[in-house]
Amino acid sequence: MLTVVERVLTAALGTERWHGSQSSLLAAYATAPQHVGRDALALSPAELAELRAAAPGIGFERWTRDDAARALLLIAQRHNGRTGDAFVADALECFEQGDAREQQSWLRAVALWPEAKAFLPAAIDACRTNIIPVFEALACENPYPAAHFPDRNFNQMVLKAMFNSIELARIFGLAGRRNAELTRMARDYAAERTAAGRTVPADINAAIHDAS
Amino acid sequence: MKIFDPHIHMTSRSTDDYEAMARAGILAIVEPAFWLGQPRTQVGSFVDYFNSIIGWERFRASQFGIRHFCTIGLNPKEANNPKLAAEVLALLPRFLAKDGVVAVGEIGFDDQTDEEEACLHRQIELAAEFKLPILIHTPHRDKKRGTIRTIDVVRRAGFPEERVLIDHNNEETLPIVLETKCWAGHTIYPNTKMDEHRMAALVKKYGTDRIIVNSAADWGISDPLKVPKTIAVMREQGIPDDQIQKIVWDNPVEFFAQSGRLNVADLEQRPAIDRTQKFETNSVLRGDQR
Repeated sequence: MLTVVERVLTAALGTERWHGSQSSLLAAYATAPQHVGRDALALSPAELAELRAAAPGIGFERWTRDDAARALLLIAQRHNGRTGDAFVADALECFEQGDAREQQSWLRAVALWPEAKAFLPAAIDACRTNIIPVFEALACENPYPAAHFPDRNFNQMVLKAMFNSIELARIFGLAGRRNAELTRMARDYAAERTAAGRTVPADINAAIHDAS
Repeated sequence: MKIFDPHIHMTSRSTDDYEAMARAGILAIVEPAFWLGQPRTQVGSFVDYFNSIIGWERFRASQFGIRHFCTIGLNPKEANNPKLAAEVLALLPRFLAKDGVVAVGEIGFDDQTDEEEACLHRQIELAAEFKLPILIHTPHRDKKRGTIRTIDVVRRAGFPEERVLIDHNNEETLPIVLETKCWAGHTIYPNTKMDEHRMAALVKKYGTDRIIVNSAADWGISDPLKVPKTIAVMREQGIPDDQIQKIVWDNPVEFFAQSGRLNVADLEQRPAIDRTQKFETNSVLRGDQR
């Protein structure tokens, strides 16, 4: 999967591939947009199809050039022998010391890594952010939560999405992760909104197990 | 009308806010320790934060004629970082002992994790040890369940309910809280939580016993004048002044007086403002005003 992702993202970024090799990983990760820009990543339909087949659920169509460059920087670490625990340590440092945009890039790519499970605490913590674009980077167009989150954290994430007026259709794998507790939470939320004289999200049934 | 705002995060607010609050009749406030909008990663950040709300912020309030008290605690969001949480819990005792700290708070649930429950339980024990009341934050998400679960934890700890203020109530949770002996706080926010008209309706339905309102103004969209604005709406709705006074003064004063650290007689007098005072050589004045 990573081979395909690396090849397509590298091609999409253009001929002059930027390695960031002159500086430390953290500096390169931070300064990626200064080298590749912040524009939307221009993917041809064929490239997009190839990426989607390689990494289902990742919303590459929303990625920017700096998102791609940052993912490639982490792939380059792997080529330098930094896999397993070393990769986890490097990647976590990029996340923990990242600004909101760096964290967005990081979260968008987190499902790509063979060590993905090791990033669960960071991903759960990312859901606690008040910065909605950072929350969306993980909760939306991202297969990571459905694949790795325990029910309790997954349910909280879905509720937080509703709370922030995020369309539930953007949560990858929601239909397969619905459960009795989430159903109860969604119904309680609808009751709370109604009691407060507020509207209930139109798509709330997407979170409810036995909704017709 | 004497006004006490029992929940407001003044470190995030400006001197314009202090001036407007004093003009609107706010005499005293409680600043609960909370998170800063993003997680702290070092215990030293908590030391500095706690010091700022027991020191600099209290001084700043005094410069506008407002009495400032605070609550100290590890908030539920940051309770989920186990290493940090243990370090913060260990330093709480020395802050809980300080004058002007009138409760342990705000503590409670956010994501409703086991880590949050453990920190809540430990801080209830600390409140018992320091003979302080507790201020409970109820979660944004899955609030009803979170409120019930909080009450369960309080009961299992054997903590006296009359020394517990459960905050951020809504139509669904208020009746649950009123079935206990706990006090019920309501946060009046521009968009979320509770608004002035819904609050007036709740007062008409449930009365004034153990009912408290606050602004919980902080770094988000919020309004430090929400308590005075709620008073105006309650008046419009025909709620008598003595009942309103109970909600915006008598109740919070009675609740926090349980700390033994509120001088109720003093509280009713607006403190004299002496702006020649300094706090650790800092003044709220700028150079040309000295």
